[in-house]
Amino acid sequence: MKKIVLSMVFMAIATLAMAQNATLPQNITIKALDGTSVQTSALQNDGKPMIISFWATWCKPCNRELNTIKEVYEEWQEETGVKLVAISIDDARSANRVKPHVDGNGWEYEVYLDQNQDFKRAMNVVNVPHTFVINGKGEIVWQHTSFVEGSEEELLEVVKKAAAETAE
Amino acid sequence: MKTKQKHLPLLALLLATPFLGNAQGILGGHVTGNIQLDGQISHADSVIGAADVPEKLLMNARADILYTNGNFSAGLRFEAYQNPMLGFNSKYQGQGIANYFAAYNGDKLSVTMGNFYEQFGSGMILRAYEDRYLGVDNSLLGLNVTLRPIEGVTLKALAGKQRYYWEYGNGIVRGIDGEVNFNSIIKSMAESKFRLTMGAGFVSKYEPDQTISYTGNSAFRLKLPLNVGAGAIRADINYGNWSLQAEYAHKGQDPSIMNEFIYREGDALMLNATYSQKGFSANLQAKRVDNMSFKSVRTESGEMLYINYIPAITKQHTYAFLSMYPYATQTTGEMGLQADVMYKIKKETLLGGKYGTDIHLNGAIITGIDTNRIGGDGTLGYTSDWFKTGDLYYADASLEVAKKLSSKLKLTCTYGYQIFNPIVEGHEGNLHHNHILVGDLTWKIDKKNVLRFEAEWMGSDSKYDKNIDDKRCGDWIMGLVEYNFTSAWFVSVSDQYAYRDGVGNYYNISVGYNHGATRLQLGYGKQREGLLCIGGVCRQVPASNGLTFSLTTSF
Repeated sequence: MKKIVLSMVFMAIATLAMAQNATLPQNITIKALDGTSVQTSALQNDGKPMIISFWATWCKPCNRELNTIKEVYEEWQEETGVKLVAISIDDARSANRVKPHVDGNGWEYEVYLDQNQDFKRAMNVVNVPHTFVINGKGEIVWQHTSFVEGSEEELLEVVKKAAAETAE
Repeated sequence: MKTKQKHLPLLALLLATPFLGNAQGILGGHVTGNIQLDGQISHADSVIGAADVPEKLLMNARADILYTNGNFSAGLRFEAYQNPMLGFNSKYQGQGIANYFAAYNGDKLSVTMGNFYEQFGSGMILRAYEDRYLGVDNSLLGLNVTLRPIEGVTLKALAGKQRYYWEYGNGIVRGIDGEVNFNSIIKSMAESKFRLTMGAGFVSKYEPDQTISYTGNSAFRLKLPLNVGAGAIRADINYGNWSLQAEYAHKGQDPSIMNEFIYREGDALMLNATYSQKGFSANLQAKRVDNMSFKSVRTESGEMLYINYIPAITKQHTYAFLSMYPYATQTTGEMGLQADVMYKIKKETLLGGKYGTDIHLNGAIITGIDTNRIGGDGTLGYTSDWFKTGDLYYADASLEVAKKLSSKLKLTCTYGYQIFNPIVEGHEGNLHHNHILVGDLTWKIDKKNVLRFEAEWMGSDSKYDKNIDDKRCGDWIMGLVEYNFTSAWFVSVSDQYAYRDGVGNYYNISVGYNHGATRLQLGYGKQREGLLCIGGVCRQVPASNGLTFSLTTSF
């Protein structure tokens, strides 16, 4: 009986709540590379689209994704105003290696550490890479797990669409 | 079959809270979640160490459901292990609601009741964490409060019991932690190139008394400390291209099965220094750990109930042979050094060519600590010269060169050398010396079709010995071909073969499909446990022999 009640409560919430796109969770603490704590509510791009990519230093496909986008990042920014925020899920073992990794690769992204994985859990990230596109209103409009060369084109299409919606 | 349902009424209440407290917000709330299903139909294979599975099908399943409404969130997790997959503890057998919580996350205050994860500093005195693929969940069930009274100051307080498979450990864990970012609180430092964050934490565990007999003699029992404290201080300093992180932890007397019931106090030091600029970085890490195993139950020797986390500082390799001998921290005592250099040779130079070349150099050496024995259980155990090293546990060095050859071809070549001491896995034996070569070529045929080839070789002075039964010994070769059609479909075929002094032939074929945040993967063959990166994602996999399937989705 309890189970039935519980499922009904869930169904009710789900029906009411899923009508809208989910937004970014607020007030989850992540860390900038200089050790400063930052709240996820600060992840903004002035009404323009934003890519949020969960990655780790030890994850080859993640590195391929971020290196591939690096080649075209300037063009993407000019075209759509997009900003890429890279969230490292490296734990204490490799978190100290994130800053040298980012600089060594010459990435110009905004990079944060999510060592306790609070943000990862709130975004339901299971495997990395896991990439989200957030529109100008802060809604999650697209997500994808895995990366292979060429799939950055699909990502760009989504970003362009999100940018166009915002411009309307 | 175990079923955990006693928390259901609580959950219903928990989920009803947003309706009561913030009725107008119902429509603004969101339900999100993720579901994961892993299974294997395995047959026994003594050669690769796959066990006999009478139930034929092993399955792990998990679903997280999260409700968020503004600053409020609540969630629960259902887990089912029918029966647990190979590599997972049989104590997971069963199903039910494993974790649940309700949380408020405001600007200045965050409160979580229920299961939570937390970390003080780098986790040397406290880290409640989970790794779903390794079957580790050290979440605390209790109360966690974070205060941010002014910008730049974070104060945390928590109390709870640790998850132990389907139960909770007997010990109570309590902790406080504070962190100050001086650039935020001191106005004149706001724009300074000098960035400083400092923190300190204290954790205490309480465990009821119990009878542990002295040197196995039941006429005498050890006088056990019921409360054990551990404290740590840390600093994170950045100046321009330089950064330095330091953390020191100290633990009081904590006799446990992990240190064979000695009364020596524990300590650990970690240092990390980095210089980095665009296209170049150098990183040096050092650590010393002495008697720092910290568990909430003194008689627990397995992978659960760790209050703290002392990370390995060796590089986490991803290629199969480089990661065949993963190094696990010896929390009872070790010293280590690690260096890492990354350099990008610029485009349009002699060595850089049209696209530039990436060079990555890494090395680490880990040894035991010096120990001079005083006595066994019930004594201080040993004394140790702080600067003197003990036996060599592990060393490795690797050089990776990555180069884009054309707009369609990218090549990565790696050479690695390792020395591995089997004592770190608890058995005697000679050191293993391994040379490893890896070639990894990605060929982007066109916008939608990508082929990847990987070839690996490992030459080792180790030989397979039936009595020790280490299946990694000997000389190995490996080949892998992976075909991706956009990021949606992939097929990969691989084989690892011991061609000299070893045993085993690990052939595997995998097919996968990705759509949005959903991923479905099927595999057939023999799989070594470890980190597997195919089809565009990386995850830990258990050893298997037969059919495996995996479904993950987020919504």
